[in-house]
Amino acid sequence: MDKFKRALACGIALLIGITTGSCGGGSPPGTSTTTTTTTTTVTPTSNVVAVTVDGGPSSNAVNTLYTTVTVCMPGSTTECQTIDNIQVDTGSFGLRVLASVLTLSLPVEQLSGGNALVECTQFVDGYSWGPVSTADIQVSGESASSLPVQVIGSSNFATVPSTCSSTGPAEDTVAQFGANGILGIGVFAQDCGPGCVGSGSPGYYYSCSQTACSPTAASLASQVQNPVPLFATDNNGTILMLPNVPADGAATLAGSLIFGIDTESNNASGTQTVLTLDESGFFTTSYNGTALSTSFVDSGTNGIFFNDSSITACSSSDFSGFYCPANTLNLSATLTGVNNVSATVDFSVANAETLATDNPTFTALPSLGGTYTSSTTTFDWGLPFYYGRRVATAIQGYTTSVATGPYVAF
Amino acid sequence: MFTPTVIGQKYRHFGALLLVAVLAPHPAFATLGEPETSVASDAAEFKASVKSMEQANYRVHQIQLPSGTVLREFAAPDGIVFAVAWNGPSMPDLRQTLGAYFNAFAAAAKAPHGGHHMLQVQQDQFVMQSSGHMRAFTGRAYLPQALPAGVAPDELH
Repeated sequence: MDKFKRALACGIALLIGITTGSCGGGSPPGTSTTTTTTTTTVTPTSNVVAVTVDGGPSSNAVNTLYTTVTVCMPGSTTECQTIDNIQVDTGSFGLRVLASVLTLSLPVEQLSGGNALVECTQFVDGYSWGPVSTADIQVSGESASSLPVQVIGSSNFATVPSTCSSTGPAEDTVAQFGANGILGIGVFAQDCGPGCVGSGSPGYYYSCSQTACSPTAASLASQVQNPVPLFATDNNGTILMLPNVPADGAATLAGSLIFGIDTESNNASGTQTVLTLDESGFFTTSYNGTALSTSFVDSGTNGIFFNDSSITACSSSDFSGFYCPANTLNLSATLTGVNNVSATVDFSVANAETLATDNPTFTALPSLGGTYTSSTTTFDWGLPFYYGRRVATAIQGYTTSVATGPYVAF
Repeated sequence: MFTPTVIGQKYRHFGALLLVAVLAPHPAFATLGEPETSVASDAAEFKASVKSMEQANYRVHQIQLPSGTVLREFAAPDGIVFAVAWNGPSMPDLRQTLGAYFNAFAAAAKAPHGGHHMLQVQQDQFVMQSSGHMRAFTGRAYLPQALPAGVAPDELH
């Protein structure tokens, strides 16, 4: 999400002969537009929050989905902060906010003995280090109280254990992270889950004194939580609705994130395809005769990433990892759930470099595709999959009128 | 064609090896581009089980890490680790696993790529693909110019 944007920014800079500080990740943090609001009551009015595809806080994102979340001190309806540019990510679990945009001093979760619970969030492109803190949050009319959230890059926990920093580069600033925070609303209720309850070995959670941190186990309730299961009623999943996008792209997109599935008149299941997922959140994609059993749908990936050695990869280092075919390719693949339900999905792959240079201001690019290796069984359906669709994500163990999660339906 | 042998137990009581491992600054498994000699002592330190499998052109050490993640290291006949691969609930210690190539990975992570769940590095000397989400990561890295004769990149996973 964060990074093809920079390809575009760099490509555009080259094209029009300017230099920017954003090529290669050195851009300064975007100006925070957070405000502290004073409200006396919080009136649930809706289970729908607006989501947008735009350039994000550093104005260099493509195919990246953002929304706005209100964070409050636990128990307070007055000490609140509304934070925009929160990335919407169905590929992670839990709310994380960058310390640099947070004006509230959220209380840190304490372990028995008085140590603080601090998390090393692992992404494939780096880690985010910071305390697990407690907040009341509101998204549209939905609210969750005493939600464990992560505050990334807190100056109170500046020393990162080597076992955390050894997993990748730091993503502890808005510029590095590509957002003011991330709202992980994927299929799991906690980020680590049962694997961290009995042992600190997975390396997600640390017990930190004033002077040192060591890995610790963390109960399910103390882990960073997907907020959706904590909502009062619309708590079994989400539906993302994004408009159809012309092949060449669009400058920005406006869509909706609906909370709950079959809980309100606006989130009925209807007659869509339901693909149940395995215990890791994966299904199978069959492409070019190969069954790829660790496939996933992910609003947090900025393109469709898959292996097809017959498609020309981009040669420019600014577009490394993306496809650059001479002509736009119309392709299809078959998605099959654990429940053996299948659906054929058509998608397009255009020349990434041409997309970036023809319409340099566009941030929604439906035919952006990227390479992947044939050595694994992964097909990553990123945000373009969501364009023109109504995609439901049902949380593990939660039931709707059509199935029990984890599933995706579209 | 695979001949698994468990070697973790065999080395666990070797005090000298254990001491070296304990003194190491990081959890130390064999490193990309370096000799495979540290695998056994590392396995002892971390009570990780190691299965070693002989292939025609290379040797695979499959290391079950305490985190639940499985790390595989591919060593050429000369003992140099030319590829690593992993899958499981946590990312492995990439600083140790990638060694001198960690910086190339870190640079790519700050350059254009698919996002927090999708990263690739494609260089003449170093190739890496890494994807997945919390609870389920998968990836690999290899040195294209160090592949033993007859080894195809697709074998390395």
